Amino acid sequence: MLVTLKIKRFDPERNPSSWWSSFTLEADPADRILDLLVRAKDELDGSLTFRRSCGHGICGSCAVRVNGTNKLACKTLVHDIGSKIVLEPLLGLRVEKDLVVDMDPFFASFRSIKPFLINGDPLPANGRERLQSPAERMRFDDTTKCILCAACTTACPVFWADGEYIGPAAIVAAHRFVFDSRDHGAAEHIVALAEAEGIWRCRTAFQCTTACPREIKVTKAIAEVKGAILRGEAR
Amino acid sequence: MTAQTAAPVPARRSWLTVAWVLMRLSAILLVPLVWVHVVIQDLLIGVHHIDLDYVAMRWASIGWRIYDAGLLCFAFAHGVNGLRQVLEDYIHGRRTRRVIRVLLFGFWLFITMLGAAAVIGGVRS
Repeated sequence: MLVTLKIKRFDPERNPSSWWSSFTLEADPADRILDLLVRAKDELDGSLTFRRSCGHGICGSCAVRVNGTNKLACKTLVHDIGSKIVLEPLLGLRVEKDLVVDMDPFFASFRSIKPFLINGDPLPANGRERLQSPAERMRFDDTTKCILCAACTTACPVFWADGEYIGPAAIVAAHRFVFDSRDHGAAEHIVALAEAEGIWRCRTAFQCTTACPREIKVTKAIAEVKGAILRGEAR
Repeated sequence: MTAQTAAPVPARRSWLTVAWVLMRLSAILLVPLVWVHVVIQDLLIGVHHIDLDYVAMRWASIGWRIYDAGLLCFAFAHGVNGLRQVLEDYIHGRRTRRVIRVLLFGFWLFITMLGAAAVIGGVRS
């Protein structure tokens, strides 16, 4: 089938404004959007710029807006979209070139919740790992699936208007540790969430849940963290 | 294996937390308050039949006065808090946000007091 790939371009060294490029390619319905991007760059326009790494939905590098919805280019097939494919960079983050956005603010928000296990207790006497029941592990299983692709945060209308909002991805990361029975650092994880640009800015728009390529129940996780802060315990 | 326990999350509650909770509580209260109001005023009575006699009849009941004052208070608080949220999407300066919050709170307080005084106080014959 013939596919038209319409891509929003930006290159500050060539043009201070963005423009659109269209590429027509022969594609198989089972081709991934990432395959088309690679072919367009290799065969039609070497200046086309986008991020990619693993190509298998794990690294989170290739998140883009596909026909108005955030998706991973490596997990979206041509037959999921159709023959007219419109690609744009993620919204709310500064575009560096074509489909590449500046991820620094996103990772700064992620770092602000201290996304690592905090436990000052001595290690178990046998020198082995801190034990956890299957039920305790399941409590935060969903939020361990995050690959930091920024699809959720850049789908959030609050983040579009207010780029300082901490965003759903950081709250998901906080959930992963606050609800971990081995973690004793909830107080430190939620410091940034309690601030003016923190969790209370969430309007429960559900855009994050729709956008997540890992199908994490993001809005549910956010609600659980809100509840934990309100009740004073993560249960 | 250990049993599942509730891990403590030390209190980090601020006025933002209170505003968030109030937004939810006022929304829950508004569901019956608004629907009873709509059903009575718009469906059972009809807006074209609301005249001074009807208003005087409502004013004669302290229950309806409290009801209308509650409706005004919660609806207006819900709306003004929503307006604050929307404005803060676009206004990021700390000082400007503080000024807007104070202005909005004053606006809410003034209109609510004025409305409550009119609704509960009634008119002198």
